[in-house]
Amino acid sequence: MSALPDDLERASRELRLTCDAGGVCTWADARAAQLLGIAPGTAFKALASPGTEEKVQQLLTRGRTQPVHGWELSLVVKGTPVTALFAAAPHGDEVALLGSIVHEEHAQALQQVESAMSEMVGLNRQIARQQKELERKHGEVLRLNQDLEDSFRAVKAMHAELEDRADALRRSVDVRGRVVANVSHEFRTPLHAILGLSQLLLDQSDGPLMPEQRKQVGFIRAGAEQLSQMVNDLLDLSKIEAGKVMIRSEKFGVGDLFSALRGMLTPLQKPGSQVKLIFEEVPESLTLETDRAKTSQVMRNLIANSLKFTEAGEVRVSAAQDAAGVTRLTVKDTGVGIAPADQQRIFEEFEQIGHARDQGTGLGLAISRRLAALLDGKLELTSELGAGASFTLTLPRIHPEVKEMHEVTQRSQVLDPARQPVLVVEDDRKTMFVYERYLSLGGFQVIPARTVEEAREAMKRVRPAAILLDIMLERESTWAFLAELKKDPATIDIPVLVVTITNKAQKARALGADEFWLKPIDKDRLLKKLHAIATPPGMYTRILVIDDDERARYVLRKHLEAESEFKLFEASSGPEGVTMANQHLPNVIFLDFLLRDQTAFDVLDELKANPRTRGIPVIINTAQDLDEDQIARLGEVTESIVSKEHLSRELAINRIRDALDRAGVKAHRSDA
Amino acid sequence: MKDLDTLDMSPQNPDGAASALRARYLAAQLKGDRREALRLIADEAGALGAEAMQLEVIQEAQREIGRLWEQNRITIAQEHMATAISQLALAQVYRDATAAPGNGKLVLVACVQGEQHAFPAQLVADRLELAGFDVRFLGADVPTSGLLEMIGQLEPDLLALSCAMPFHLPSLRDAVRRVRALPGPRLPILVGGNAVLTSSPVDEVDGTGRDSNEMITLSRRLLGLGS
Repeated sequence: MSALPDDLERASRELRLTCDAGGVCTWADARAAQLLGIAPGTAFKALASPGTEEKVQQLLTRGRTQPVHGWELSLVVKGTPVTALFAAAPHGDEVALLGSIVHEEHAQALQQVESAMSEMVGLNRQIARQQKELERKHGEVLRLNQDLEDSFRAVKAMHAELEDRADALRRSVDVRGRVVANVSHEFRTPLHAILGLSQLLLDQSDGPLMPEQRKQVGFIRAGAEQLSQMVNDLLDLSKIEAGKVMIRSEKFGVGDLFSALRGMLTPLQKPGSQVKLIFEEVPESLTLETDRAKTSQVMRNLIANSLKFTEAGEVRVSAAQDAAGVTRLTVKDTGVGIAPADQQRIFEEFEQIGHARDQGTGLGLAISRRLAALLDGKLELTSELGAGASFTLTLPRIHPEVKEMHEVTQRSQVLDPARQPVLVVEDDRKTMFVYERYLSLGGFQVIPARTVEEAREAMKRVRPAAILLDIMLERESTWAFLAELKKDPATIDIPVLVVTITNKAQKARALGADEFWLKPIDKDRLLKKLHAIATPPGMYTRILVIDDDERARYVLRKHLEAESEFKLFEASSGPEGVTMANQHLPNVIFLDFLLRDQTAFDVLDELKANPRTRGIPVIINTAQDLDEDQIARLGEVTESIVSKEHLSRELAINRIRDALDRAGVKAHRSDA
Repeated sequence: MKDLDTLDMSPQNPDGAASALRARYLAAQLKGDRREALRLIADEAGALGAEAMQLEVIQEAQREIGRLWEQNRITIAQEHMATAISQLALAQVYRDATAAPGNGKLVLVACVQGEQHAFPAQLVADRLELAGFDVRFLGADVPTSGLLEMIGQLEPDLLALSCAMPFHLPSLRDAVRRVRALPGPRLPILVGGNAVLTSSPVDEVDGTGRDSNEMITLSRRLLGLGS
């Protein structure tokens, strides 16, 4: 069969073999033996790649009955995979097979292509993987963002909660303050009755008292006075805590202050006291520019305190001021002294050290320390038990508010032609600063005046485009100033903005009261006032008292009944009072500020609404320490009402500007 | 409202959908129409899901290719071509699939030295990764020395070795023996592939996976991840 040259024979990849019905090789040519390693007697199927035996069997089975072509087999020859293409045909009982080994390089090329493909897919996959990673990171960033946003929200919520809690705290402090104020007020009404009635008894206007009775009534009165002092202290404290206390500074000599204190406190010493109260000489140059009343109150408390705890020796009051203006006012005593452990405690409310043998509210030092803080100063104590105590009030020569005020005043000295001048009449410096800040932002120049007197002075110097007037300021004279402005043809066209501390329209309504009096009513003052309301001789002065507290009416009645020229009418409620006013047309009405079911404003509104009663002067008397906002009253000559509560907000300036606008005043002259 | 209740919102007969897709995919494979095959995968991946696409379409199509060759209806060359397309298809499914949250475990997947059939190992690698494993697939025919090197570098938590052809079993056994000889903690080894399934068990390995599902289950169990 081999007709080809040897070279070609060797190059040939064709092989032949025959197998019997069982698939066992019966004959194989040289190339079959060489390329497949098969020899007669071995099973052809044994060459099949694992898993492909079936395909080999198919070839053998089919080839026995019919010719088969192009049957691809995957074989393993000596451990190496080999691909071969076979044809088969029946050959007697046997099957003849003609095979052609696929060239190794051919197979390898396929292999190469596939692995190249694999690698490319692998690369592609790496990119996909990186992309996934990027996406994951992006997701993480997004999640992180979300987390941040969440925590931001949480922080915000926490802030809101804190704010709420702070509000709640503020409210509870506020409520506490109001409770103190109201309780104090509730105490005052009966206390004043006791004070008034015991005084009536002591005056013996209803008949003489037995000496023993006089003594007893004296004790009652002294007790009531002490209680009254305590209530006043409590009110002071709650006012300071509520931030309702304003600084009213003035320039004064410390020597003058000491003189006044001496006059006030010497009577406090018990007759025959072993304690000398010494005020050291103070050079005239030693002056302060701060709230004199508060400084005095602190010193009074300190001195009274020292006198109380000093059995013998002296209480020495001295003053010193250094170059920087730091002023020290010292009260040094030779009393029992205070143990170090107690030195902080005595500044707390209701703390008294040792036996409270003396009277005292236990509030004096607490109030003093708070007042010292208001004066931008501090109150300090050095003491040893048994070796006396030394209290020192340290405060700046000039209160910081005053300093700032000087600067505001300084700025107002030079008029800026580009700005409209606005005269601000306001005694509270803090408020003044707010005006200054906002009005200068608004294009106005503030001309500050802290008193009506200063305002009048300023009016001589400059004609303001508008006037802001704090109506609380010096009460009566403010009204007079307002009336002046509105009477004078030269100033009648200057818009006046009345500023009140309240934002409550009801309270800001025109209140025609002529005076506010604080109970208990002082008899002398009462009579003086009534005599001033002149009535033709021989006629009664008709007085209407509207008060739901029977005791208050009784005290007033007793005060007046000795005076024959007065005729008293009493009303126990607002409506009754209005009716009686209309009926009797009294010369003057005393009106209780807080009636059971009405406020004085309601009664006043009705009185002022009736032409018959409109002209009757009304004196508000009250057991309550009036808030300044309750004292507010406004005339019809005002252009606007601005609440001080809103002053610190930008709103205020807008409202002021609106008001100025309505009054025809523009911020810049160029605009006008 | 009633109508809505009676509506069947689920895909109709998902098995049918998979086998219909498989038929079209297979036809594209055999024609050598790579674009068409990949387009089919891309279009239907969303509806069918990655797993069904991997197992019921691509893997099944590959099995069908094997059967067709056995029936001598296609040639080895066609088989290679079809496998190349399936590799691409797997890559595409992998790219578009969403992986489960990472479990932090690193699995090294490789075909043993000489083993050219990368498709089954690739499928296992993809599925492990989508199941949350961090997977490095080293590809086909990884020399044992290279494998050892990678183990030293990556310090995987698990090694998965694939051996499709029985004549590569010696290199599988050699690889396992040499991995076991490495110092350090014992590295869990899983083996898979046709050769492993038909031969006697391989010594010193921790499990044999018949398919990708079993590989995932075994990996989780070996690494203490729960099922």
